[in-house]
Amino acid sequence: MNGAKVELRGLRRNFSGTTALDGLDLTIEPGELIALLGPSGCGKTTALRCVAGFEQPDEGAVLIDGADITRVPANRRDAGMVFQSYSLFPNLSIRDNVAFGLRVRKVAAAKRHARAQELLELIGLPQIGERYPHQLSGGQQQRVALARALALEPRVLLLDEPLSALDAKVRVTLREEIRRLQLSLGITTIFVTHDQEEALSMADRVAVLRAGRLEQVADPATLYDRPTTAFVAEFVGTMNRIPGKLSGRTVTVLGQDLPVEGDVPATSDVEVLVRPETVIVTPDPSSEAMILVSSFRGSTSRLRVQLGDLEMLADVPGHDTVRLAPGTRVRVELVERPVLVSASSDVAAAVPVSEHDVV
Amino acid sequence: MAALTPAGPMAPVTPPAIAAGPGGRAGRPRRIRVWRGVVLLVAAVYFLVPLIASFTFTVKDASKGFTLDAYGQILSAEGFGKSLLLSLGLGVATIVVVLLLTLPAMLAVRLSVPKLKPVLEILCTLPLVVPPITFVAGITTILQWGPDHLADTPFFQTIIAAQNPDFPVVLVLAYVILALPFVYRALDAGLGALDARTLVEAARNLGASWPHLLFRVIVPNLRSALASASFLTLALVLGEFTIASLLHYQTFPVWIYTISGSQAQVSVAVSVFSLLITWLLLLVLSSAGARQRSGS
Amino acid sequence: MTVQSPVHTAPAAAGGGSRPKKSKSWLATVPLLAFVVLVFGVPLVIILGGTFTREGTLSAANVTDSLQGAYLTALLGSVKLSALVAVVGALLGTFLAQAVVTSRFRLLREAVLTASGVLSNFGGIPLAFAWIATLGNSGVVTSALGLDSAGWSLYNFWGLTLVYLYFSIPLMVVVVVPALDGLRPQWREAAQNNGANTWQYWRHVGIPVLTPTLLGGVVLLFGGAFAAYATAAAMVGGTVPLVTLQIANALSGNVLIGHENVALALSLDMIVVAGLVMAVYLPLQRRSARWLR
Ligand SMILES: Nc1ncnc2c1ncn2[C@@H]1O[C@H](COP(=O)(O)OP(=O)(O)OP(=O)(O)O)[C@@H](O)[C@H]1O
Ligand SMILES: [Mg+2]
Repeated sequence: MNGAKVELRGLRRNFSGTTALDGLDLTIEPGELIALLGPSGCGKTTALRCVAGFEQPDEGAVLIDGADITRVPANRRDAGMVFQSYSLFPNLSIRDNVAFGLRVRKVAAAKRHARAQELLELIGLPQIGERYPHQLSGGQQQRVALARALALEPRVLLLDEPLSALDAKVRVTLREEIRRLQLSLGITTIFVTHDQEEALSMADRVAVLRAGRLEQVADPATLYDRPTTAFVAEFVGTMNRIPGKLSGRTVTVLGQDLPVEGDVPATSDVEVLVRPETVIVTPDPSSEAMILVSSFRGSTSRLRVQLGDLEMLADVPGHDTVRLAPGTRVRVELVERPVLVSASSDVAAAVPVSEHDVV
Repeated sequence: MAALTPAGPMAPVTPPAIAAGPGGRAGRPRRIRVWRGVVLLVAAVYFLVPLIASFTFTVKDASKGFTLDAYGQILSAEGFGKSLLLSLGLGVATIVVVLLLTLPAMLAVRLSVPKLKPVLEILCTLPLVVPPITFVAGITTILQWGPDHLADTPFFQTIIAAQNPDFPVVLVLAYVILALPFVYRALDAGLGALDARTLVEAARNLGASWPHLLFRVIVPNLRSALASASFLTLALVLGEFTIASLLHYQTFPVWIYTISGSQAQVSVAVSVFSLLITWLLLLVLSSAGARQRSGS
Repeated sequence: MTVQSPVHTAPAAAGGGSRPKKSKSWLATVPLLAFVVLVFGVPLVIILGGTFTREGTLSAANVTDSLQGAYLTALLGSVKLSALVAVVGALLGTFLAQAVVTSRFRLLREAVLTASGVLSNFGGIPLAFAWIATLGNSGVVTSALGLDSAGWSLYNFWGLTLVYLYFSIPLMVVVVVPALDGLRPQWREAAQNNGANTWQYWRHVGIPVLTPTLLGGVVLLFGGAFAAYATAAAMVGGTVPLVTLQIANALSGNVLIGHENVALALSLDMIVVAGLVMAVYLPLQRRSARWLR
């Protein structure tokens, strides 16, 4: 089995007043795993349900391998779906759950049981065929749901936050397993999540949605290093906002002149978006900046530095922690590279916008 | 159950292939809405027509056209007050007795002797299997047989006293049995929903002071379960006809039946009235339940 | 709760140290158990004993009598009526409940649920009179539609069915609505996603999940109709053969001298039928709810 190409063209969906999708365009290449990322309510689930056929877009089209399937009923689409939770049929044994699609297609019992067993082995749970859903843990249930979604050998796999109900450890192992399966089957996969770490670590490409529109789609490294908009930059990873002065396509910040990339606001008072790992901190007794807090994270340490009435975060190598204890006076510089800027917000202090971090 | 009327053409299930055929889905939502509308309409006719017709029946008059006389006559009708008071009295007595019997027993079972739970459950459900009329057949036989055989014993006086027509204790006994299954289920649900802390503390204090435990800890937390048990019991007693009529007591339902021969309109008026009362009781009950939920 | 009870301040770490050594709390169950045994058990024993006694001697004649002629017809009539009401009531009640549950109007749902709660308690004499006023010989609808000249009568088997459904359908609605609410939308979507159409979803998932509840509802409705006496007595008197009417008749002395205990035998028949229904229902219920355990 191999994956199909999925195209979303100008999808628009309105729910009595709220616009869930506002002209969403996205093309997913065959065999690719794409993660849909975005704040709550931005339309990720709605987009996925349009592909599955549970939701009809008001405008726009869904194409699979170039064929318009917008009006094809859900039960005749070629897409397997894994729901957030509790989607296994409670009255059917695990084996019958996995074989449900084959049973509906009137496949002979022996054949579908063999296929179910095959799938249970694929997900690493060969012995639980006789049990009922409520006798499984949450993680096992989601694996079975995955097996059921794969039973009909669909060419598209849809996952709507399949791991969000699980605890952190299970989440990590299961996402690796999903990725492994997806790669070996070569199935085109759309993975909805609001966990950026999950998105960045699993996906070939990540699509960031905002208010029903596509904000940026790129591979994880590009998305993290070269976000095209301030929204993406702040949503993915941690950002410092440092006041700066804009002139042309250069910005003056902390006494340095840095080139600007992306959109340039009309005002000259701007905030410069800087990742903690591009902040260089060196001990300097004559400097006015001071380390407030230092939290050790193994390979790196995250410092909270006070600079005038400004607080910023900096990541330094773990072995520098001793030199950079709280209370140390330090000099702060930025790595010379193009930066993103955005118009100044009203907030006086440049408090870091997001506490998420990508380890 | 949209599916029982096979909705949609039973599409031949093709192997997974994305046939881009338009229009497969467009008509479905409307068909479901039509189906639901028909069901609701038929139900509305079936359930509303008897109520409206009964009301019409009580207010139409051959000469005057429209009159509320029948409702006025309820109050002045012979025996109305007496039978209603009797039924209410029986209802209150039944509620008191059944709660006094079940509440301590169920608490004890839940807090310290869970082994007895199946016994209690079976005993309290059994009356559902035994129709009231068979129960009354047994009781009648005892009441006829008793006086003949127990004339010289103290039981004789008891049996006679229990049949006092002004307040037939025998009916209370029978009604307690009839109410047991409902009361048991209501209280069981209430106790199940009691918050764990209350129960643990109650268990710890078991034996320290029963009345205190019962009235200051359990009862306040069980208010809505107790209210629903009481409501069900009261509704049951106010409507019970079989036992009362076969034992020849003039309770409220028996009275309605008795006057129907001479005053058909009044008896229908009372019937409409009693439905209204049930409805009011249910409203009071559910709002009491809601208040407790929001209050705690 | 406004009650400031001292128990709430008990130290949580005490771990039940103050628990009495040998609990006597089972004593609290004694009054209830004694009451049930006396008030409920004794009449049952009397029924059993009386059934097998005729004119002071041990005999099966009462049972034989109760299972032939008019008595047998009445017993079968009751079973037939109750089974019909149970099945039809369960079906219609489920349809109505589904129509309400899937509706987008919250108000409709609330109204139907409240009305069901009231109407499921609406039985006995008032129910009979409401219907007599509606479709009886001089009922409002009867005369309005001229049904009397068309040969309509409420006082027969079908009329009783119509009337019994009036409280049975709402009872079924009350029973089945929570179960319908428990059907998760994901199940339907997952079924569709696996290629099932609406019918296949109900056939493989919806109905099996509902079955324990539906069976319970059918039995409840059967029991209600089987035991009903007041409505039938007020409506049809003796024209429809029903076992409850026969028992009442026999208790009021309308039996051959010496055959008084036939009433007890009929009662025993009823209890046996109810027991048989249970004997069929419980294993079915257990089988259909296998996946719950
Ligand atoms: N069935 C519906 N009826 C009404 N509004 C809806 C419905 N489904 C979604 N919406 C609205 O559409 C918007 C997008 O919803 P959607 O479920 O797609 O968000 P999401 O990105 O999946 O969010 P989350 O991360 O919280 O799951 C929300 O504002 C939501 O309230
Ligand atoms: Mg979502």
